[in-house]
Amino acid sequence: MLLSSSSPQPFVVIDNVSKVYSTPRGPYTVLEGINLTVHEAEFICVIGHSGCGKSTLLNMVSGFAHPTDGFVQVNGKSVTEPGPDRMVVFQNYALLPWLSTFDNVYLAVDSVYPNKSEAEKRSITRDHLAMVGLSDAVDKKPTQISGGMKQRVSIARALAIRPEVLILDEPFGALDAITKEELQEELLQIWNDHRCTVLMITHDIDEALFLADRLVMMTNGPHAKIGEIMTIPFSRPRDRDRIMEDPQYYDLRNHALDFLYNRFAHNDTE
Amino acid sequence: MSLFVTINNIDKIFSIPGGDDYIALKGINLEIKKGEFVSLIGHSGCGKSTLLNMIAGLDLPTEGIITLEGQKVKDPGPDKMVIFQNYSLLPWLTVHQNISLAVDEVMKGTNSSEREALVEEYINLVGLRHAIDKLPKELSGGMKQRVAIARALAIRPKLLLLDEPFGALDALTRGNLQEQLMRICDEYHVTSVMVTHDVDEAVLLSDRIVMLTNGPGSKIGGILEVDIPRPRRRMEVVTHPSYYSLRSEIIYFLNQQKRVKKLRARKVSNLARHGLEKVNLELGYVPLTACAPMVIAKEKGFFVKHGLDEVNLVRETSWRGVVDGTVGNYLDAAQMPAGMPTWLTTGGYQESPLPVVSALTMTRNGNGVTLSKTLYEKGVHTPSDFRQLLLDSVGKSHTLAMVHPSSMHNLLLRYWLAANDIDPDNDLNLKTIPPAQMVADLKAGTIDGYCVGEPWNLRAAVEGVGFTIATDLEIWQGHPGKVLGVREDWALQYPNTHIALVKALLEACQYCADPKNEQEIREILSGRSYLSTSIEYIQLGDPNQYSCNLNNSVEYAHHLFFGENVNRPSRTEHLWMMTQMARWGEIPFPRNWVEILERVCRVGVFGTAARELGIEVNYQRQPIALFDGSKFNADDPMSYLMNTKIHRNFTVAEVHLDGQRLSAA
Repeated sequence: MLLSSSSPQPFVVIDNVSKVYSTPRGPYTVLEGINLTVHEAEFICVIGHSGCGKSTLLNMVSGFAHPTDGFVQVNGKSVTEPGPDRMVVFQNYALLPWLSTFDNVYLAVDSVYPNKSEAEKRSITRDHLAMVGLSDAVDKKPTQISGGMKQRVSIARALAIRPEVLILDEPFGALDAITKEELQEELLQIWNDHRCTVLMITHDIDEALFLADRLVMMTNGPHAKIGEIMTIPFSRPRDRDRIMEDPQYYDLRNHALDFLYNRFAHNDTE
Repeated sequence: MSLFVTINNIDKIFSIPGGDDYIALKGINLEIKKGEFVSLIGHSGCGKSTLLNMIAGLDLPTEGIITLEGQKVKDPGPDKMVIFQNYSLLPWLTVHQNISLAVDEVMKGTNSSEREALVEEYINLVGLRHAIDKLPKELSGGMKQRVAIARALAIRPKLLLLDEPFGALDALTRGNLQEQLMRICDEYHVTSVMVTHDVDEAVLLSDRIVMLTNGPGSKIGGILEVDIPRPRRRMEVVTHPSYYSLRSEIIYFLNQQKRVKKLRARKVSNLARHGLEKVNLELGYVPLTACAPMVIAKEKGFFVKHGLDEVNLVRETSWRGVVDGTVGNYLDAAQMPAGMPTWLTTGGYQESPLPVVSALTMTRNGNGVTLSKTLYEKGVHTPSDFRQLLLDSVGKSHTLAMVHPSSMHNLLLRYWLAANDIDPDNDLNLKTIPPAQMVADLKAGTIDGYCVGEPWNLRAAVEGVGFTIATDLEIWQGHPGKVLGVREDWALQYPNTHIALVKALLEACQYCADPKNEQEIREILSGRSYLSTSIEYIQLGDPNQYSCNLNNSVEYAHHLFFGENVNRPSRTEHLWMMTQMARWGEIPFPRNWVEILERVCRVGVFGTAARELGIEVNYQRQPIALFDGSKFNADDPMSYLMNTKIHRNFTVAEVHLDGQRLSAA
């Protein structure tokens, strides 16, 4: 187990959470009885078929949604609304198209640190864009850069305000395989250097095996639950090739495949 | 199956603004049989979609010709349907209307009830009965793509072309659709060509996978046959013995392409210093206990001591990487399996001879044959038990793995099997897989055993998944394991560097053989940059307390790094390996074997290096003594070869080597 020596305090606590939406056809239970404890600086991936409520689950951590039953705590405080301590990166980047990459990040920095000087805020913005390799694209508008670069801006923006929890909702789903691998490596590097707690939704088993300390596997909705939590034991820093040399890689991969395609197979025609 | 699509010597050149030309594809040849499913895989910009568009008739080749059933492809048409990533459905039409529009347009000759029946059939086929009257905006991405598939197939095209059909879907939805597409293709014998960059998708769906190199001037870099029987189910496919090796083969290819791109971008010049022609060297190795001399030469400063100031060790996961680095000329030198220099020189790689020389044998022994615990529990404890098991299990195939056709593992394993009356090609399957994958495959039950270097035999025993049925101590005590290999043209260009390299490595070999250094070497090797494994799996010397067996103690197949008759390249040994590779059909037996041996074995370089180090070289030509008692007569290798009891139909041929003939070595 990660950090087993110091028996860490739970940092994110999801306690017996259910989420029920009311619909014209009556109540619809998306999630039921979810319990998950995440330690500080842990990297968690959540996987499950479409409609299993994984985005709903993370929205309750970010404060965009509220549990019908149960509660969510981050760092000892109940989550009631969104806040800069929990930043979200979306698949569609969510950048403001009329602002340059610099201004997109600066806007966030400015709103979170109203008391810092402009020079400080500009320097934070520059540093974080440099961290994701975008120093040469600070003046570009989102329409002028590739999908991979947009997602880098989005990650820089999220990290620039030093969140305690970074929430990523399938951040690399729209990228081609090569760019995706590059961004996964960059994300891991940044996480290694900054060690915030990460909760990330993915549909990609290999991505989860490369990135996460633990993989949360969800059953299908409605009434989705956590089916299983897989501990991913590869030592860090991780190297993609080395992981694939590890015999355990194939065991874990096949186990997750079995969970998703046999035990909780899903037909998406509904 | 007859030839259905032929792609004959295609080039595709685009004009770019400014008057220049961009060569997208160069010299593409491919034939597709009726009913076949072929995937095109490669990095962005490799021209795979361009190739697909030309098969579809949406674009024309600059040179060359594409035919479908003997007819030249000149324009698009309903006989060649394309499915795009973005579905291309008409948003104002329902599912039913989208499909019937296509059917009505193409099948004008049939009556409307027939056409309606066809539309219904295909809607049912893709499981969209319940959504028949929905508009595209009411459907999920997966459902939209089902409509597109139904529409394409309903008009009964000769050829189905798919351009990253599932690229816009999440990985799990993709999985469901892949299985459905596969079922339909099987059922209706649809001939399909699919562009993808998803490795798992390619292996799951394809009969053959065509791998394209990076542009400009993309070529076919390799074609893989997927020998997994149909009908396929995802979970069965992943446990097939070929699955992960095909997968890693493609990943290797794609990574290699990335690497070549980086290497092309990096311009390195040769640094000459200390009277050496080149002191900046890239040396390839595979992380095994046997790589100790190379790692020690680097870590203990032997390279630097001999003037090689800037040596970079390039870690390869498989021997394939060493071959590509040598052929592609981006490795200066490499640790090679003992047979590899001869194998490359005689055209083992793509039948094009590449002279490679060896001036140093770096290790001997250290290999074993491991069989699975399952076989042990079935009572297989000796080679004859194994033979009996194979005889008794008619209809059930057993698979053993080795690391490379030219490696001693392959040759020893085959020799050992054949000497025990087991035909290595007919009584079982032999597969090439990377060393690190062996234990995983053994555990998963996709292979029944393997022949590989340490630490992998010991590891199987320690983890309780296998046992060593024979070590090389019992097959050929003292056989060569890994050698230093460099291209002959490199050796000619950098003669003093070559000698310095041999000196550094020979000294490192000496260091590795000293029991005093054992603990230090094990610690270095186990580190993250090298083997990255627990130190208990790395054993040097002769630790009898370590057993590679489940119950009985078996002597550990430890390496020899240094000593009399250990390091000097031996023509007799290389000749024996040549006979064995010819015996199993890996190479033709060269009629000019004397010339080949002279060129491969650079005894002179070794002698110079050893003398300059003050190491006394006493060499006696010794006969090779193998466990079955057969004698190898180095003067008459041909009759030795003819008289082997089990062998393939080998050929004997003159191997023509280009380039400069070496004067006295």
